[in-house]
This record gives sequence, C-alpha cells and structure tokens, in this order.
Amino acid sequence: LPCAQGAHPHHLSLFSPLAVTSEQIEHLHRRFKQLSRDQLTIRKENFDSIPDLEFNPIRGKIVHAFFDKRNLRQESDGLADEINFEDFLTIMSYFRPIEMNMDEEQLDHFRKKKLKFLFHMYDSDHDGKITLQEYRNVVEELLSGNPHLEKESARSIADGAMMEAASICVGQMGPDQVYEGITFEDFLKMWQGIDIETKMHVRFLNMETIAHCY
Amino acid sequence: GIIERHETPMEKEIARLHRADFEFSDIFYFCRKGFEAIVEDEVTQRFSSEELVSWNLLTRTNVNFHYISLRLTVVWGIGVIVRYCFLLPLRFILAAIGITAMIVGTTMVGQLPNSSMKNYLSEVVHLTCSRILVRALSGTIHYHNKENKPQKGGICVANHTSPIDAIILTNDGCYAMVGQVHGGLMGVIQRATVKACPHVWFERSEMKDRHLVTKRLREHVADKSKLPILIFPEGTCINNTSVMMFKKGSFEIGGTIYPVAIKYDPQFGDAFWNSSKYNIVSYLLRIMTSWAIVCNVWYLPPMVRKEGEDAVQFANRVKSAIARQGGLTELPWDGGLKRAKVKDTFKEEQQKNYSKMLVRNGSIG
Repeated sequence: LPCAQGAHPHHLSLFSPLAVTSEQIEHLHRRFKQLSRDQLTIRKENFDSIPDLEFNPIRGKIVHAFFDKRNLRQESDGLADEINFEDFLTIMSYFRPIEMNMDEEQLDHFRKKKLKFLFHMYDSDHDGKITLQEYRNVVEELLSGNPHLEKESARSIADGAMMEAASICVGQMGPDQVYEGITFEDFLKMWQGIDIETKMHVRFLNMETIAHCY
Repeated sequence: GIIERHETPMEKEIARLHRADFEFSDIFYFCRKGFEAIVEDEVTQRFSSEELVSWNLLTRTNVNFHYISLRLTVVWGIGVIVRYCFLLPLRFILAAIGITAMIVGTTMVGQLPNSSMKNYLSEVVHLTCSRILVRALSGTIHYHNKENKPQKGGICVANHTSPIDAIILTNDGCYAMVGQVHGGLMGVIQRATVKACPHVWFERSEMKDRHLVTKRLREHVADKSKLPILIFPEGTCINNTSVMMFKKGSFEIGGTIYPVAIKYDPQFGDAFWNSSKYNIVSYLLRIMTSWAIVCNVWYLPPMVRKEGEDAVQFANRVKSAIARQGGLTELPWDGGLKRAKVKDTFKEEQQKNYSKMLVRNGSIG
C-alpha cells in the first residue's frame, strides 16, 4: 500500500522545540514539489508561477531572500543558484509563530533571528550595513508602479526615515558627522519594545485529513 | 486552505504600524503576504481537487494516504473489487449504448425535413441518450427551481467543473451546444447531432475570431424558435470550490441570460477534471470507478444587462449570483491562469493601488 513520503525526522528538528507536525511538513513538501515541478531543487524562475506573489511590490526581495546564503547558513555569504527542500524549510522557519511555552532566552533568540532575516532584506550589498541608498531602494520598490509619484518624493520619504533611525541609534549628530549606515546592533535597537513576533509569522491551521476507523 | 490568513485590509494594517510617516516596518506586511502566497496561493489551490474531511474509501481523494488498520484496508479492498469488476463494466456498456444511440438516433432524425416533428423527435433522442449516459455514470442529480429553466432564444451560463457538466444539464432539458470541432469519437458525435438540432460548432480557426463567434451566436439567439445556448464562461475546469472570472464574450451577445449553478458532492466521487494531470480517457476511467456522481443543479431567475452596465460588470453580477447559490467562493481571477502567467496590465494596476495607499499615509502633499 502506498505510504506517506517525504517527511524526514531531520526536518522536524529545524523547527524544534516548537510543535510543528509532520503533516505540516508534508504540506510544505507538496508545495515544494508543486513549485519545483517535481524536481529536487527550486530556482528563482519557479517563483514566477505564483499569481498571488506577482502583486507584491517587494516580490524581488522576498524571492531573493530564499537564495541569500546568509539566511540559509549562518556563516556563508553570496547567492545560491538553487535551493533544495531543506533550504526551503530553513527559510520558512523564519516565519514560524511563537509558542506559549517558550522561555526568555528562546524568545530573544527567536526575535533576533527574525530581525536578522529582515536586516538581510534591506542590506542588499551584504556589507552588514543598511545605507541610505539601500533604504531608498526599498522605498522605491514599495512605491513602484505609481506613475504619479516622482522619484524625488520617494527619496524624501527615505531620507526622513533614515534621519529618524539615525536619531535613535546615534543620538544627536554634529553638523559634520555623516551617518554611515545602520548596523545590525542599531537595527535591534530600533525595534526594542516593538512586538514584531506577531507581525512576522505564518500560522498553520490544524489539519485532520483522514478519518480514523477503529 | 492550510494557513490562517489575516483578513485585515491593507490600509488598516499599514495605519496601525505607523508612528511617523514612512517606516521600516511597512515591509512586514508585504513580507508576510509574500510568504503566505509562497506557502499557499488562492489560485493554484483551485486547480487541485478538493480535500475531503473524512475519507470516502477512494485513495485518489486522500493525498495523505497512510496505512491505518487492517479492517480499513479490507473494506477498501472490497470497495476496489466492487468498483472495478462490477460497476465499471456495467457503466461502460451503458455508456457505449448511450453514445451509439445518440449517433444513430440523431443521424436518423437528421434525415427528416425541417418541421416541428423533427424538433420534437430530436428532443426525445437527445433527452433519452442523455439520461442513459447519466445512468452510466451513476449520476444522481437534484434539480432546484425548475420554473426558472432556460427558455428558447436565451443563453444558459453555468460554472464549469468537468466535461460531464453538459450531460448533467441536458438530462433535464435541450440545449444548443457551443464548442470547437474535435476529431475522433467526439467529432463523430458532433457531426451527427448537428444534423438533428442546430448546435453551434466552430472550426478551430473560427474560434480565434471573436467577432465571428459573437456574430454567429447573436444570430442564433435572435431566432426565438431555436434552443437556448449553453455556455461555460470560465473557459476551463475549476475544482468546484470557487467560481473564477467569467469571460465577458458570452455577455456581449445580448438576450436573456439564464444562470445555472452546479455543485457536486465530493463525498461520492470527485468530478473535477484536472486537465494538466489527467487526459480525458483516464479522467473518464476515474469517473466510472467512483461510487457515484451526486450533484445539485439550481436554476436561477433570468438576468438581463441593465442600462449603463458594461459586459464585464454584467458578467460579475451573474457570477456572484451563481457563486452565492452554489455556496462557492468568488474569485476575480482568470481561469486561464491554470496555464498562463498573470497579465502585466493587471499586475501594474494592483501595484498602483498599493503605492496609492502607502503615499496617502505618507508625507506627500
């Protein structure tokens, strides 16, 4: 008789210590196979087949995040050409919701991981700093497609936000001081006190697809 | 669906995050939306069969098939024997009888000169053969609101799930079919039936010319003595949990529209034809080895285009009525997305909406 395929006990460990069922991994695996058209790896082009994603203004950055080696393995850098299911799960794990039974240390680690993911999205040249230009790029992308918006307006929005970031991170700057860019530590400072965990997660519904017959 | 989606509208989400004008946090919302789309998107979902809550002993409908218990396996095994060795041959014979009777019957009626007798006989032949074919699928159909049945000179539109939709409807009435000329057995049936009854079959080259198609259909509808046309405006098979975009072509012809909602009960057999996964023969084999095809058909009150309403709005109005009646969700998406990508113009339109919203909350004067 055919039996469930694809659930690796190893994959569950990527999500530990949270309760992610093997069923949810099954679902993700099926989704992976759908996107990869039954191949073992996914390339950037495979994300083109998702209609819902087309409308997202930061689509490019999201897809890029899947191939960003900084998100896949902690110490490496650069871009991967293709990712396998394990990599796919690794990226999805950045979006797992928090569970009630997490302690302080786990929560903190969790939060840092999510913020690091976000930081990498902004820091497109991988130099560990979000510069004014990089932030401008993000704003322009978010506002892309609006013909009424001039480039200047997008720039001024970006500049305003960067100034605010600078004031949080560095405090008062002298007239000759140049703000190089937001480092990860500064980034963390900006988010202190703001609850990002509930904004940055995707929660699975409880699924029971088989009737039990005893 | 498999993930919990937050239904907060975009504006509210962004307003909540705002302290000052534009923030680093705006990226969260789109980031999450993007991930949700990657895990599960509304559109691709509709092109795979509906998942059942409890198993109906057909392994094809249970994607997560595990071995559970010996007793269940034995029951399933008996089910397989009944379906393949008993039901399938019976149904096959019935279907063969039905198709042969259709071809022979309509050819014979086609020999008669045009008269009311011919029309009457043609109806008898079509109805009888249709009923045989429905029995061949072990179809149990409940028709509701028969007083709204489509009249002559009108256009009947329905949601599309499978090629047998047409048989389901012709079981209860006579329609003029619209479609492309095929080869093979289908072509033989088409050529035979058009002799008895004015179905509208188009050559492949003619289908490309929209004006020609509309013109021919208009001529047919204008003749009030002709049978109502049957059209499926979605253009492709959807999995019967939702209704997708109705192509406006059918609604530009004019005349009275008679909407019909068809909802299959997936408990006894999955009627959805996933044409990218199965060809027509394996699809028919699956249908004939299911337990039964059970469905509900609702005839909705006729609709006409209102003053100042364009074809697209009219199409959406009809679509909503059908979705409401059948208990299906409504999606604005085009069924053609099964095979093609989203059109750039549509995409740009949506992006404009996003940025308009962001700018309104931003510092632009």
